Amino acid sequence: MALGGGASIGTAALVAHGLSKRFKKKVALDKVDLAIPVGSVTALVGPNGAGKTTLIRVCMAFERPNAGGVEVDGVDPWKHRSEALRRVGYVPQTPAVYRGLSVEDHLAMARSLHSGFDTDYARRRLDQLGIPLDQRADTLSGGQAAQLGLAVALGTRAKVLLLDEPLANLDPLARREFIQVLLDAVKSDGSTALLSSHIVTDVEDACDRLAILGGGKVRLDSPLKEARQTHRLTEADSPPSGASAVGSFLGRNGKTIMTLWRLAPDTDLSAGPGETSEAASLEDVVLGYLAAGRGTAGLQLN
Amino acid sequence: MLTRIWLTFKQHRFETISITVVCVGLTAAALIEAFRLNSLNVPLSCLQSYQGGYPDPSQGPISAAQAHCNELAKSFSDMKGSLDMNLVQLLLLLVPLLAGIVVGAPLVAREIEQGTAPLSWALSGSRRRWLLGKVLAGVLLLASLMLAVGLAANVLEGALNPGLNPYNSFSNYLSRGVPDVFWALAAFAGTFALGTILGRTMPAVVLALVVCFFARATWDAGMTHFVLRPFAVEQDQDQQQQPGYVVYGPGGGSADMNVYYKSFIDGKEVTDAQVYDWYQQNMVCTPTPTPTPSASTSPADSSSPGASATPDNSKMGDSGIACQGPNIDPSHMPQQIPYVIPGQWYWQTVALESGLLLLGSLFCGAIAFVWVDRRRPY
Repeated sequence: MALGGGASIGTAALVAHGLSKRFKKKVALDKVDLAIPVGSVTALVGPNGAGKTTLIRVCMAFERPNAGGVEVDGVDPWKHRSEALRRVGYVPQTPAVYRGLSVEDHLAMARSLHSGFDTDYARRRLDQLGIPLDQRADTLSGGQAAQLGLAVALGTRAKVLLLDEPLANLDPLARREFIQVLLDAVKSDGSTALLSSHIVTDVEDACDRLAILGGGKVRLDSPLKEARQTHRLTEADSPPSGASAVGSFLGRNGKTIMTLWRLAPDTDLSAGPGETSEAASLEDVVLGYLAAGRGTAGLQLN
Repeated sequence: MLTRIWLTFKQHRFETISITVVCVGLTAAALIEAFRLNSLNVPLSCLQSYQGGYPDPSQGPISAAQAHCNELAKSFSDMKGSLDMNLVQLLLLLVPLLAGIVVGAPLVAREIEQGTAPLSWALSGSRRRWLLGKVLAGVLLLASLMLAVGLAANVLEGALNPGLNPYNSFSNYLSRGVPDVFWALAAFAGTFALGTILGRTMPAVVLALVVCFFARATWDAGMTHFVLRPFAVEQDQDQQQQPGYVVYGPGGGSADMNVYYKSFIDGKEVTDAQVYDWYQQNMVCTPTPTPTPSASTSPADSSSPGASATPDNSKMGDSGIACQGPNIDPSHMPQQIPYVIPGQWYWQTVALESGLLLLGSLFCGAIAFVWVDRRRPY
C-alpha cells in the first residue's frame, strides 16, 4: 500500500491512516493519511491551528483519535502505549524542564523512567554544547533548555523522533545549533525525525521531506526536492503547460497576486523562453497549498 | 525507584523542606510542653482533689499542705490552659491534614501546570509506574514525619493527664499516635487524586481543605454512630475509679470513649424525650438570688451528656433558676447507663479507624492511578 509521497507502509516509520480528531465541534485532523519513511527528516509545516501538534500528540498517545489511527514503527500507540513510547523520542512544544532539578538530574530521571536510556550518549551531546551538567534547569537559556530536551529525547536512542515546534522560541543561532545536533544524531543513529514548525525557513535546510498540514488535512506530502521541482509560480493567469493551479496568495511585494502551479509528472521542468513562470521556493509551495485550503477571498487587491 | 523518590524530593523541595521543618518543630514543641508539665511534679492526689479553685462547701478550712497542693494543681491547670499549649494542641490536630494536602496537591498537578508531564510520560511507558515513584516519596516523607509528631503527641497527652495511660485511653486519640500517620496519608491520597483530576494545584488545595476538614469534623460522630456503636459495652463503673483510667482535674473524664447511653425509669428503657418529660413533671424550678457551681464530682460526669448514673435532685438552671425535685427515692429517678468503647480497646479501635482511613486512601489513590492513565498531560 502506498501513501502520501510514495512511501509504503512497509518502509514507513510513522503512518497515519484516515486519522481524524475533533475537539468538540472543532475538527483538528480530518482523515489524515501520511507515511514518514524510515531514515527521513520530515518537516511538518502548517499555520497555527493546522493540526501539527494534535498529530504528534496522537502519536504520543496523549490524544485518542476519533477515527483512523497511527502506527509508530508498526505499533499503535493508543493500544500499546508503553511499547510504542519505547520507540519514540519526544521533544515538547515548550522546553519542558524541571525548574528545581539540574541537567544531570534530568538525565538521571530519564534513566529511571526509560529502561534503555543512554546517559553517556546524552551527556556527550550536552558536553559538546558546553552545557554544564550541574547547572539548574531554570537557569538555562531557552536554547540550552531546548538542547537539554533534545538530548533527553536522543538519549532514548529511539527509532522515531517527534519534535513539536522545538524551534519556535529560539534565536537564530540556537535554532541552527539545534538543527545541527538533530541532523548529526539522525545521521549517526539512522533514526527518523518528524519536525513540526510553522516557519518554513527553519526547516528548509534541515529536512529532506515536506508534509503540509492545513485545516486538519494533509495538503502535500512529498520529498523536498520534488516539491521544489514540480511547482511553478506565476503572476499571470495563464498556466505553464500541463500544470494545475494549487492556490493564489499575495506576493512578496504586497501588490501582486501570485499563483502556484503543480506541474504534471511528465512536464519538461525547464521553463521555456518567454514563459512567465518562475521556480517556486519552499515558502511559495507552502503558501500556495495553505491558500488552497483557505480560498482566495482575502486576496482582493485595491 | 530510589532515584525517582530522591528526585521527587528535589523536585518538590519547597514542600519537602517546609513540611519537615513544621513537623520537626511541632514534635519539639510538643516534647518541650510535655517536659514543662512533667517538671511541675504535681502529685496525682493534688489533681484528684483539685476542684478548679472552687471551694468545697462540704469541707472546713483547708490545711497548709492542701493549700500547697492546690497551688501546684493550679500551676498545672494554668499551664494546661495556656496559649502555647492550646496552640500546640491545635497544630497537632491540623498539621497531619495540612501536611498531606501540601505534599499531595502538587504531585501531579504541578507537572501538568508546568508542562513537564509530557516529558515524563513520554519517557515512561507506564504512567502508573511514574506515579508510583512520586507517591512512594510522599508516603515515606509523611509517614516518617507524622510518626514522630504522633509519638510526641502521645508523650504530651501523657503529661497533660498524669496517671492516664495514653495507650489505654481515648482522650484526644485521633490527634495523636498512629492515627496522625493515617490522617496525613488520607489527606495526601485525596489531594493528589484531586490534583490528578483537576490538573491544577491551587483548586486541588482549596477543594482538599474543604473535604478534609469536613471529613475530620464529622469523623467522630460518624464513627460513634455507625461503626463503633455495635461494639460499645456498658461502662464498668468500678474500673472508672482505678488509676490509669481517669482524667483527673477540672474538665477531666474517662479513658473510655462514650458512644451512646440508654435511659431507664423504674427499670424500663425510655427515650430522651420521656426523660425530659419526667423532669418537667417532677421538678419545680424557682428563681434563686445567686447561682452556685455544680456540686458534681464524679470524673465520669463531664465526659458524657448523659453519663450521670444517679442525677442529683437539685439541678442548676440558667440565669439563677434552681430546680428542686420532690423527695423521690433515687432508685425511681431516670437512670442513664453509658455505653462505651473501653479504654483498654485502644489499639483495636485505632487499628479499625486507621484501617478505614487507609481504605479511603487506597480508594483515592486508585482513582488517581486510573485517571493518570487516561488524562491528557496538559
